[in-house]
Amino acid sequence: MNRKALHWILGAGTPVLLLALWWIASEQSTSAFFPPLRVILERFQALWLFEHFQSDVLLSLRNLLLGYGVASVAGIALGFVIALVPVARQILEPLIHFLRGIPPVALVPIFISLIGFGIEMRVASIALASLFPTMIATVDGIRSVDPGLKDVARVYRFTTTEKTFRVYLPAAGPQIFSGLQVGLQVAFIVMIASEMLGSSQGIGAMTILAQQSFMTADMWAGILLLGVIGFAANLIFDLIRRRVLAWYIGSRKLARAA
Amino acid sequence: MKFRPKPLITSVAGILAAIVLWQLIAVGPAADSPLPPASAVAESLGTVLGTSLFWSDLAATVGIALLGLGTAALAGVVLGILVGSFEPFRYATLAVLEFLKPIPPIVILPLIVLVLGPTGQMSWVLVFFGCVLPIIMQTVDGVHDTDPVARDTARSYGLKEPEILARVVLPSAMPFIGTAMRVAAPAALVITVVAGLLGGGPGLGRSIYQAQAAGDYPTLYALVAVLGVLGLLFQGATRLVEGKLLHWHESFREAAHA
Repeated sequence: MNRKALHWILGAGTPVLLLALWWIASEQSTSAFFPPLRVILERFQALWLFEHFQSDVLLSLRNLLLGYGVASVAGIALGFVIALVPVARQILEPLIHFLRGIPPVALVPIFISLIGFGIEMRVASIALASLFPTMIATVDGIRSVDPGLKDVARVYRFTTTEKTFRVYLPAAGPQIFSGLQVGLQVAFIVMIASEMLGSSQGIGAMTILAQQSFMTADMWAGILLLGVIGFAANLIFDLIRRRVLAWYIGSRKLARAA
Repeated sequence: MKFRPKPLITSVAGILAAIVLWQLIAVGPAADSPLPPASAVAESLGTVLGTSLFWSDLAATVGIALLGLGTAALAGVVLGILVGSFEPFRYATLAVLEFLKPIPPIVILPLIVLVLGPTGQMSWVLVFFGCVLPIIMQTVDGVHDTDPVARDTARSYGLKEPEILARVVLPSAMPFIGTAMRVAAPAALVITVVAGLLGGGPGLGRSIYQAQAAGDYPTLYALVAVLGVLGLLFQGATRLVEGKLLHWHESFREAAHA
């Protein structure tokens, strides 16, 4: 019990200690690169709460959600088609693997050349880049569905809709979710990249502009905000995943305990 | 393995159809848009492949990615074994690592560019930071997964602690490290490209940015296509190396028999 308490203190205490160290060590800092944490937090408050909250923070988040949402729905739907229609798979699979090899951020210049620097470009880049992880995971998930399950569905004369929502989707669920998680990370990276490449709005653009004009504290404030968003997005995703896949996580735990 | 010509034909036909479709769209309805026709891209691919600049860019990209990956692997495994072997260490770093894990390296790109400038060193640092965390965390998991009986057996045979680490703990953590490396290797390439594209580090990323900024769209597409092939090669190579190094492990033994 005592040991457990000690571990708790260590786990919670280290981040606090590190932050405190950062605060104290940077307090007298005159370095151009590492301004005092106090100044960074002041700038954080001044910039993000509430001067640029609506114009930049909300804008970035809306692009992220929109692009990611489209990619997730389209990725799962396309994944189904590719996994279940053999001809579609043969035609599309090599193409998909080639496109997947392209670093997602490298697609941003192409979209800029096609549709300019606007919001559409950012949403389209996010959507296309985060489509692939979800789609590929869905294909893999459906192809590894237990053949017994498929047979049972056939014996019970399930309709296509029933098969899709009651057999394939739940059985492929764990893999689809891991694809969705990678997709979210990619979407977040492309959101930042699309803003850093020549845009004037959004958190990424504000951060890179601050860096280019040597407003170091503003840049640090942007980095902090992006870090917090990256962490929070993953946390929220994990909570949803745990909820939706509660049955799966529970069965895994039982299997491991046995 | 059985050779089946039919799916191969459909796959090739799929790729050809996509290229023809692209050519038709670019020449026909989208003739005024910035979308270059496939023939122009193929032509500029030929030109680009003939320049020495391209090959030095390619060498820089691959070199930085491999250097970053190698140093990250070395540091990650050493730190992972340290953190995984000492309970207090593990609890102290858990929260910090979990917080940092979902934050992509692009977030700290402005800071690294500010401090190091648009150099190869900057790209390397970024790749290192992007790859080292997952390797540490997987190594920690691997160390924890070591069979306690194997560890105790080694101890009762009189093996010293460093020997146990090298002969029992490290081999049993290898599959975990292998998984981390398989994810980290393509990531290293992506981060190198991002560092070039957004931070001006040397390599193909910077060339893509320059092609886009100069409005040289055929070259832009040709370079992105090269990155797609390079990405596939990276993925294939890591899988090959992993299989060679871990041929003794259960998950690979299965594959060998099949």
